[in-house]
Amino acid sequence: MGKALIIDITKCNGCYNCQIACKDEHVGNDWTPIAKPQPDTGQFWMKVTDIVRGTLPKVKVAYWHDICQHCDDAPCMKACRQQAIYKRADGIVIIDPEKCVGNRNCVDACPYGVIYFNGDLNISQKCTFCAHLLDRGWKEPRCVDACPTEALRFGEEAELKEYIKQSEVLHPEFKAKPRVYYIGIPKRFIAGAVWDPGEDECTEGATVTLTEPGKAKKLVARTDRFGDFWFESLEVGKYSLVIEKPGYKAKKLEGISTEKDVNLGDIELVKR
Amino acid sequence: MADKRGTGKKNGAEKTFIKAMGLIGETGTGGSTVAVDVRDGKIVRLRPFHYDWKYRSEEFGIWEIHARGKVFRPRLQSLPSPHSLGYKKRVYSRNRVLHPLKRVDWDPGGQRNPEKRGESKYVRISWDEALDIITSELKRVQKKYGPSAVLLQGDGHGETGVVHPSHACPALLLKHMGGYTLQTRNPDSWEGFYWGAKHAWGMDPVGIESQTNMVPDIAENCELILYWGCDPETTSWAFHGQAQSRVCYWLGELGIKGIFICPDLNYGAAVHADKWIPILPNTDAAMRLAIAYVWITEGTYDKDYVATHTYGFDKFADYVLGKEDGIAKTPGWAAELCGVPSRIIKALAREWASRRTSISHYLGGGAIRGPYSTEPARLEVLLLAMQGLGKPGVHQFCFNQIFLAEPFKSQAMFSPQVAYRGTEVPFQAAEIHGISRNDFIKRWDPAGWTPPPLHKPEFGLVTPPAQRPSQIIAKDLIHEAILNPPVSWYGTTFWSEPLEDQFVKYTYPARGCSEVHMIWTDTPCWITCWNDSNYFIKAIRSPKIEFILAQQPWLENDCQFADVILPVSTKFEEEDIQVDAMSEQFDVIFHEGKCIEPVGESKSDYEIVCLIADRLGLRDKVTGGKTEEQWIKYAFDNSGAEEFITYKEWREKGYYISPTLPEARQYVKRRTPLQDFYEDPEGHPLKTPSGKVEFYSQNLARHFPGDKERPPVPHWIPYGETHQESRLHPRAKKYPLLVVSNHGRWRVHANLDDITWIREIETCKVKGQDGYLYEPLWMNQQDAAARGIQRGDVVKIYNERGAVLAGAYVTERIMPGVVSIDHGARYDPIVPGELDRGGAINTITPRKTISKNATGMVCAGFLVAVERANLDELKRKYHQAFNRPYDPGAGLTRERVLHRGEKI
Repeated sequence: MGKALIIDITKCNGCYNCQIACKDEHVGNDWTPIAKPQPDTGQFWMKVTDIVRGTLPKVKVAYWHDICQHCDDAPCMKACRQQAIYKRADGIVIIDPEKCVGNRNCVDACPYGVIYFNGDLNISQKCTFCAHLLDRGWKEPRCVDACPTEALRFGEEAELKEYIKQSEVLHPEFKAKPRVYYIGIPKRFIAGAVWDPGEDECTEGATVTLTEPGKAKKLVARTDRFGDFWFESLEVGKYSLVIEKPGYKAKKLEGISTEKDVNLGDIELVKR
Repeated sequence: MADKRGTGKKNGAEKTFIKAMGLIGETGTGGSTVAVDVRDGKIVRLRPFHYDWKYRSEEFGIWEIHARGKVFRPRLQSLPSPHSLGYKKRVYSRNRVLHPLKRVDWDPGGQRNPEKRGESKYVRISWDEALDIITSELKRVQKKYGPSAVLLQGDGHGETGVVHPSHACPALLLKHMGGYTLQTRNPDSWEGFYWGAKHAWGMDPVGIESQTNMVPDIAENCELILYWGCDPETTSWAFHGQAQSRVCYWLGELGIKGIFICPDLNYGAAVHADKWIPILPNTDAAMRLAIAYVWITEGTYDKDYVATHTYGFDKFADYVLGKEDGIAKTPGWAAELCGVPSRIIKALAREWASRRTSISHYLGGGAIRGPYSTEPARLEVLLLAMQGLGKPGVHQFCFNQIFLAEPFKSQAMFSPQVAYRGTEVPFQAAEIHGISRNDFIKRWDPAGWTPPPLHKPEFGLVTPPAQRPSQIIAKDLIHEAILNPPVSWYGTTFWSEPLEDQFVKYTYPARGCSEVHMIWTDTPCWITCWNDSNYFIKAIRSPKIEFILAQQPWLENDCQFADVILPVSTKFEEEDIQVDAMSEQFDVIFHEGKCIEPVGESKSDYEIVCLIADRLGLRDKVTGGKTEEQWIKYAFDNSGAEEFITYKEWREKGYYISPTLPEARQYVKRRTPLQDFYEDPEGHPLKTPSGKVEFYSQNLARHFPGDKERPPVPHWIPYGETHQESRLHPRAKKYPLLVVSNHGRWRVHANLDDITWIREIETCKVKGQDGYLYEPLWMNQQDAAARGIQRGDVVKIYNERGAVLAGAYVTERIMPGVVSIDHGARYDPIVPGELDRGGAINTITPRKTISKNATGMVCAGFLVAVERANLDELKRKYHQAFNRPYDPGAGLTRERVLHRGEKI
């Protein structure tokens, strides 16, 4: 048991309150023994990044969050020769700012890239889940308190079961056992707009069938009034797609790579 | 009031205060409220305010909106914007004015060198010297030219205060000195609605639909929301906080589809859009006409409603079908103009006709601030009327005025600003805003939440003209008035005016009044927020203007053109009373304690006016004989809250929440005001001559016959006598790109551009090769590639009015042919009046108003060219400007304007 953080990407409106609140708490404030001050700019113990997906006009934005995963099997702890990194009973991983001598081994060891080196203080630093506040009765760290949409949730792992069920951890292959759980990690989409150039009309009600060569599973969508179709939450791969509507010549598109999100653009479907 | 959560281990005890951080300023109540923890005289943190800090939630009660089997509840904490959470950096900004400053080459006894404003540096002077200069200049100017020679710029957005408001305090003194000239408080952000839509449906004061009970109606009945130029994830941050975001998510959960129609994938569209239809800026009128064409030709509009609820439809139909001018407004016709394929326009028209559809806005924003913005605004109302406007689910839905919590409260709204019994706290000088909140408060019937009659304003009450100074100047005509008098215009341009004021002509100089020779500003942001400010700079460098006095906490924008600059404290350095009725969660009245000592030698705007009044023997007139503490008590005693809690208990607890009506905890079906009109148009007329929605405006026909730029039936006007800002005009050969200029994502107008933690956000600033953080200019890859521009390049945006530098943000979030740059970036002149480094795009916006008889501002939808800037050449040519003291984290710092050797 112990503390856990849920990050629901689907509920994040991109306000950056979490990143700003973290700075408000940790820049210019000294919370030793939990943490010394964070530099004013350039380092982010809670870092938000805009991910612009797709191309005009099929564009969406997701907001990514990088934060210490407070791993139960934390590579940083093993890498620190000073034993300056410890795990609290509540699962929180702390770099002791008074023991740290600035070897930076932890910075290199962290597979998630969330430990920063503070050159002015010659110490490594990262998110503490605001342990100094939890220790005086706060229920959640600043980033979670500041989140307007409840995209961030924090608490005892046991109390968050419902959310953890829908979530995944980052890079389970690292086997670091993170305490941060993500919901709605953006995968890939394939989208397009079907139209009838003869009639100059959007093609509504066309059936779009998506297949991944070599796999049996098919995904089917119907175009809406604007001729739009979207396939969401796709894995990276090569896909092919067939568009059909009675009275029209079927159209096949092959070799669609989802290295990135894909907007197939305006697709002509012509009458037989 | 120590918060037990805030006691550190090694650190001293923390004390907690409450501050409203919404920056509406003026009359506005607070929003975006935060709790402030303070230790050892320094602000430790700003965090959401938890309503249940001193009361159990059962004591004040939680309201609920039920719709389609789902429930919406407020959260038990405030939902501040990132602006509010980062405000500590604003308080301790490196750009704070710390001491009174005087322009080094301005000598009130000799050479004034007005043409050097914006270039010359400043020296520190004492408060005594500053006050001596100010009082003697005030007396001299008034004696020589008359009292109206002093212009007060005292309006706009900023920190809220009751005893210490950030704007308009000088009026408290000037009105006892024989009068002054007042810059009017425009309906900015509502331009097209105010000057256009009001002629279609009344809706005083600003031309948008009454929003009472709007969210429950939309949630239950609406099927499709057209977010037309609307960004609910940006503009609400300025005043309210982030409740609007939760509303948007909830409407999505209810299955209400959202289509965003705007040139840019704005921040609302980024997360809420089911579909984005990119459209060229300021071409919405053409698309709306084509939609009407589809409905008329396919017979898919509400013919019965049009017959009973509207006036002049035939003339409109003639125009749409081409009977008037030989051009049928078909989707094919519009496609060319809007950059939207005709098939999409047809699909949108059919989707709209088949579902209960509302159009959503925050304020107007960029979409309603272009040339001839009256026309798309009127067409919006007319299209809604063609689908049964006022029917449940068919509305103009404006996030800025939903007052979500109001219908559920025992007391409509606590109001210390202007107390609800009609007694006015004089610090909020009514003549500045032209309104009193009195009527606003009284009209709400706490028991039944009865909407006001439709012919009455939704909010606001016009001040009797007798309370106004003898001379006014429309804010968007200040430059023209100074440089080129006499100037005439229609309407006072106060935002709160009733419709009929638009038919009254005003002139400057007014009869018996002087031209302006001194400017007193507590709003020194004209340059980065208003129209063609390069021309404004010419005006404030004119020898006619003998003295400019600016008072402001930060050395920003117009300050650097002033002759004397006074340091003003922020609200963290002041004690006040405030109501938060804009967070859309719970209405709270709270004491705003003094958190820290004033930074530098700063004083509040009100204290400054009192000090000047002292020297003129007018202090008692300004203060009304009361101390600040007495005014706080007075404001509380007349707020409405005194019926619920004693002053003593309120001060002990620090706040009080307006309790939720017991019946509001269970949902009760509520009506929008316009539903009355929908059901009985004769019994509930609109404020138009016919009492109906006017497709043909009888008022415009009568008062402005022959006006081709705002004719009785709204038209598509790409360009005309007043403006030539269309891609169809020959100017577009030279200046081919249209500008979207929204309210800032990371600023509130000119506010907040120095917060280091915000400036390092990717979409806030773009780091140039020279290390300077430039204002981002959004460009599509196509446009960038055609100009050899890459992401991060410094670019020059220009037209005949001047040039502005920016950092290229190349993105799929904007359509080709369009660039986007938010207004309000801090002006950093390379050549004052010609070339700016800070990204203040308003330096090159159109000078003229919406059209010749519509006196609103134009600051979006205009033409520019963009090219890669040659930084090396610029640096060589403007060596001095490029080598001013600069801190990339915070941007411009005060040191840059100090005379050599000045130590501050």
